[in-house]
Amino acid sequence: MTAAFDMLPGLQRVRDRFIALLKDRQLLIARHTLAAWDGVTAQEVNENLHAVQHILHQIAGSAGSIGLAELGEQAQECEMLINSHLESAHVDKPRCPEHVAAALGQFVAECQVLTDAAAA
Amino acid sequence: MRILAVDDDPIIQEILEQFVGAFGDHDLATAGSAAEALELLRAPAAPVFDCFLFDIQMPEVSGIELIRQVREIALYSDTPVLMLTAMSDKPYVDAAFAAGATDYVTKPFEVTELHGRLKLLENLVEARQMQTRKIFAAAGLSAQKQPRQIELHEPISIYDVDNVIEFTALENYVAQLTRGKLFGSSTFAFTIRNIESFHEHLSAFEYCSLVSDVAEMISDTLANRQFLMAYAGSGTFVCVTESGWRPKMSALMDAINLNLARSELYNNAGQRLEPRVCAGECLRLIWKNSDTIMETVSAAHMSAEAASEAYERRLTDYWDMEKRA
Repeated sequence: MTAAFDMLPGLQRVRDRFIALLKDRQLLIARHTLAAWDGVTAQEVNENLHAVQHILHQIAGSAGSIGLAELGEQAQECEMLINSHLESAHVDKPRCPEHVAAALGQFVAECQVLTDAAAA
Repeated sequence: MRILAVDDDPIIQEILEQFVGAFGDHDLATAGSAAEALELLRAPAAPVFDCFLFDIQMPEVSGIELIRQVREIALYSDTPVLMLTAMSDKPYVDAAFAAGATDYVTKPFEVTELHGRLKLLENLVEARQMQTRKIFAAAGLSAQKQPRQIELHEPISIYDVDNVIEFTALENYVAQLTRGKLFGSSTFAFTIRNIESFHEHLSAFEYCSLVSDVAEMISDTLANRQFLMAYAGSGTFVCVTESGWRPKMSALMDAINLNLARSELYNNAGQRLEPRVCAGECLRLIWKNSDTIMETVSAAHMSAEAASEAYERRLTDYWDMEKRA
């Protein structure tokens, strides 16, 4: 990846923009995760999980190309957890699985570490 | 090449601008949604694009639906489409190939990987431009002198037949299969018997129509099964299935030939054409790596051609026996 940054100096600018965007995405993930957790209908839970899945999908798709492979892999793992739930028999229940919420909470914390480090 | 990339993630758009900019001789335009892309393509003064890069998962209209809509624009009926997708999208990737994708790159991608894939597409674009030039050149000749435009071995494009894709796309699809589990994957092929005779006696248009009609019969016979098929040239269709289905080839061949017998195919002079196919062996793709998987597909291809040759030989032997009797 360092070679890519050497070859393409503009990639650092994309990475900076990604980190700046990550602050907004982190906030949205946290907001939708809480809304899913507090959801009282299956539709409410699932719509919020879908929204989180879409954001994670974007992070997973781009992070690895700009030297943030670990973050991308974590996003993909969270996305897979959500997909598994949405494809499972429990999808009709008005409940966000605890392990999904916990993984998303951890991911939000990881994003915070990254954005704090970039700001320092 | 003039490239249009469609992705709803602005970061991917910027990464592509950086990567494609580094390769030199390409112009990149970007769109954030399928609707924006279609608007751009249908605009009266729109530039002509040589190649497309589409994300699969986009809100409202997916990249798969976008391929279908782009293929309906005559100018882009066979323009190469490279899908950009995350690993977990495998079922979507299958659907993308069935819709007309040429190849796919898994996100996150590296600069060298994207460069390699674009190079392959560039070769494809150049080959097509050369073919178009030949056709225009041939159109200028008198009918009598007009050369046959279609070679027997040419893997001609077949349009609007379910699950039938370009041979290059099938090769790319199979190459990507090696990354996943291959336990349920098999390959098999069918060859139109006596294809040389059809090729010799039919016009280029009639020949293409015949190959397309046979493709449609095979596709209809395999309906309700998961498969992708491509015309490899010389009358042979190669199929790949991932569904765990292991077809009994003789029964399948009989079913296709029965459908062909029921169909009424004619040449331009009104004479009935009666194509029939021979089936090769069904070979499993399990435990194959990137080096050997295409060899297995080739082996399936060759076994269908060998079956067709053996069938023709048996016919000759039969008449020899008659003479002896």
